[in-house]
Amino acid sequence: MAPVLEIRGLEKSFSGITVLKNITFSVEQGEVVALAGENGAGKSTLFKILTGQLRPDKGTILLNNENLDRIDTRIARELGIGIVPQELSPYPELTVLENLFVGREIKTKFGYLDRPAMLGESGRMLGIFGLDINPSDKMKSLSTAYTQIVEIVKATTWGAKLILLDEPTSSIPEHEVEQLHEIVRTLKGQGVSIIFTTHRMSEIKQLADRVLVMRDGVLIMDAPAAQAEPEAVVTAMIGRDLGNLFPKLSKPGKNIGLVVQDLILHKNGPSVSFEIREGEILALGGLVGAGRTEIIETIYGVRTAVSGNVLVGTKSLVLGSPRKAIDIGIAIVPEDRKGAGLVLERSIAENGGLPRLRDHLAAGFVKIRSRKRTVGEAMVRVSLKSRSLDQPAGTLSGGNQQKIVIGRWLGGETKVLLLDEPTRGVDVGARGEIYNIIRDLADAGLCVLLASSDTPELIGLSHRVLVIRDGSITGELKRDELDSPSAQENIFRLSSGQETLVS
Amino acid sequence: MNQKLSITKTGNFRTLQEKWTNQRVVDLLVRNSLLIVILIVMVYFATQNERFASFGNLRAVLIAAAPFALIALGQTIVILTGGIDLSVGSVVAMGAMSAAWLSIRLPPEQLWLAIVIAVILGTLAGIINGLVIAYLDVPPFVATLGMLTGASGIAYVIGGGAPINGLPAEFAVIANTKIFGLQFPVYLMIGSFIIMALIMKYSAFGLRVYAIGGNRVAAEVAGVNAKRTLVQVYAISGSLAGVSGVVLASRVGSGPPSLGVGYELLAIAAVVIGGASLMGGRGTVWGTFLGLIIIQTLGNGLDIMIVPSYWQSVINGVVIVSAVAVDVWANRRRSR
Repeated sequence: MAPVLEIRGLEKSFSGITVLKNITFSVEQGEVVALAGENGAGKSTLFKILTGQLRPDKGTILLNNENLDRIDTRIARELGIGIVPQELSPYPELTVLENLFVGREIKTKFGYLDRPAMLGESGRMLGIFGLDINPSDKMKSLSTAYTQIVEIVKATTWGAKLILLDEPTSSIPEHEVEQLHEIVRTLKGQGVSIIFTTHRMSEIKQLADRVLVMRDGVLIMDAPAAQAEPEAVVTAMIGRDLGNLFPKLSKPGKNIGLVVQDLILHKNGPSVSFEIREGEILALGGLVGAGRTEIIETIYGVRTAVSGNVLVGTKSLVLGSPRKAIDIGIAIVPEDRKGAGLVLERSIAENGGLPRLRDHLAAGFVKIRSRKRTVGEAMVRVSLKSRSLDQPAGTLSGGNQQKIVIGRWLGGETKVLLLDEPTRGVDVGARGEIYNIIRDLADAGLCVLLASSDTPELIGLSHRVLVIRDGSITGELKRDELDSPSAQENIFRLSSGQETLVS
Repeated sequence: MNQKLSITKTGNFRTLQEKWTNQRVVDLLVRNSLLIVILIVMVYFATQNERFASFGNLRAVLIAAAPFALIALGQTIVILTGGIDLSVGSVVAMGAMSAAWLSIRLPPEQLWLAIVIAVILGTLAGIINGLVIAYLDVPPFVATLGMLTGASGIAYVIGGGAPINGLPAEFAVIANTKIFGLQFPVYLMIGSFIIMALIMKYSAFGLRVYAIGGNRVAAEVAGVNAKRTLVQVYAISGSLAGVSGVVLASRVGSGPPSLGVGYELLAIAAVVIGGASLMGGRGTVWGTFLGLIIIQTLGNGLDIMIVPSYWQSVINGVVIVSAVAVDVWANRRRSR
């Protein structure tokens, strides 16, 4: 049988940088293909080409033996390529029904919306997948997983023969993942082909017939999923072993640099207390939504606390104002880099100088040269790769953007560094560099508070780990406990509320 | 628009070198398209009617532009924060009416008080806008729409529903004193533009405005007091509208309460023609200057060619939309 999708020699480059190189593979009817790879490996570019958002420089795409050389988004959809992007864009204020039919409404012969017909049709569509969703509910009342499922259902109703799922399970809770998997299996049963990207090795085994691994724009691996060992997939993805990614940590100092006392985040919520010594990296572990980000944002003052004391050195911090936190020596690298870290249109120098703008002012005007010197020195220390400091921050890669967000706190009176998911969306190479920077900062005597969902990062980069669950600390792992092989398992147990630990 | 990479199109067999030079020339043309259009328009008018290129006409264009220019400047920084100030037209009327009302009551040596109070009133209107927007989180469109209605009402209250006429000659001096052949408001306009351009480019305030418009959350995380900056921005817009009102009242020699109706829309037009994004974070004082020039020279040129004013409106509308369409196209072209 001829494959549904056949890609031959696909190439693509952006301003001279090759992002896809000689990509060749095919997908059979009803086949589920996992596409793995680091961020920046070229997965998104491939998806964008398949859905007509980008034109390839070279190569052919055949869908059911039809050449798609002049594909645009409309043609792609009409030919049966559907995509469910990682960042969903439903209409939250409209009903499920309306979301399903936007763009292909059923109309009466007078041109009005034929609601009864759409209601019936949507019931049938949802029924196929055994979904218990009321089509009249507002979209915003659904969980992320269901929102995703509705988007998938919507894609199939366009008559999609090939559905692309971009990290379908990255943002949904564990117990809803199975539901999504069930949908994928139903689709497969109907003969729909699926390509999904994922970071979960377990998912590849559970769901995929075949696994493709991309690295730096090249297809590294194309193997039946049953034969692909997780270790082999990971090695193919990152191109080297994970072992040497983390730097050796030095011993922390004696003095306590940060004290958090009885910090209560929500009314009637639990309180959190901990201390960090100078030169110590304290990591916060736990599931998404456990409250790690809230703790960090409350200390920094972008979120207000119900009550609690924070001491930096011997000075007490007035909670609730980022300005006061900065002035006392607290720095933050926020979780959402694009949303809360950088003003992407503005230059590296401007972004770099923003938190300490006052240091570079004369009568309200910016001393351009003094700022450039300070920011320049800091950016050299974080080995930022850029053409010039006047380059807009938005033109840099994720890893380099993150270096600005970290680097701009260097060279000042920073005493405490709050890091929230510092390596999210950062490729492996830059990740190692960022780890080294963090270690160097700790060595310089800073107190580092690190929140991360990446368990190897928690274990590899910290002196101590506190596990957070529902806003309170459920356990602590010291360095020797982190070195034990059962550390990962124990962090998981504490995160999910299991009492017993393994030794 | 986040990714500013340029993509080479398929089937492009020219060498990299060739493409670069061509691309640069095109880029240069696209980036300065507004300037080029202005020049073409000017040359066209000049060939059509010799009066257009005369000094007398230049002076007329400049003095007519001055009150607008002040409002457009304020509007520029408001739009850079991602906001909008619909109230400026009414604040002009309020400023003009209060200055007029005071000028016929105050002795000549205290006329300066009329000016100061009018500007203070404008600033107050702006501060109220800013407070409502920053601290009550009312969308700028709504907050300033309220001020548009409110300030207009006050303008009518001041005059008891009628224009205030017979302003003293000393008051008319403000707008009609000539220095080196040009009236004082022209210098006021040019000075304000230069000062504002410097502020926006080199001051902390300027950077904060761009940062708030570009990404308010990130700006706040970096320690920028966005609320205070917003109040400052709307206060400046209001005070410039107050000044504009004084200039207009002085030039007209009376205080009609309907003065300034619709000015806000022309000011917004000048700003967006100048390439500013209504989403905030993108735009320049220089761009607004060009936008203003194009609106004013077009109006003046069409006047000279005796094009009926209704048709002028139609032409203006087309110009506004096409200028922005070209700008959007140019930006997308650059970001692909």
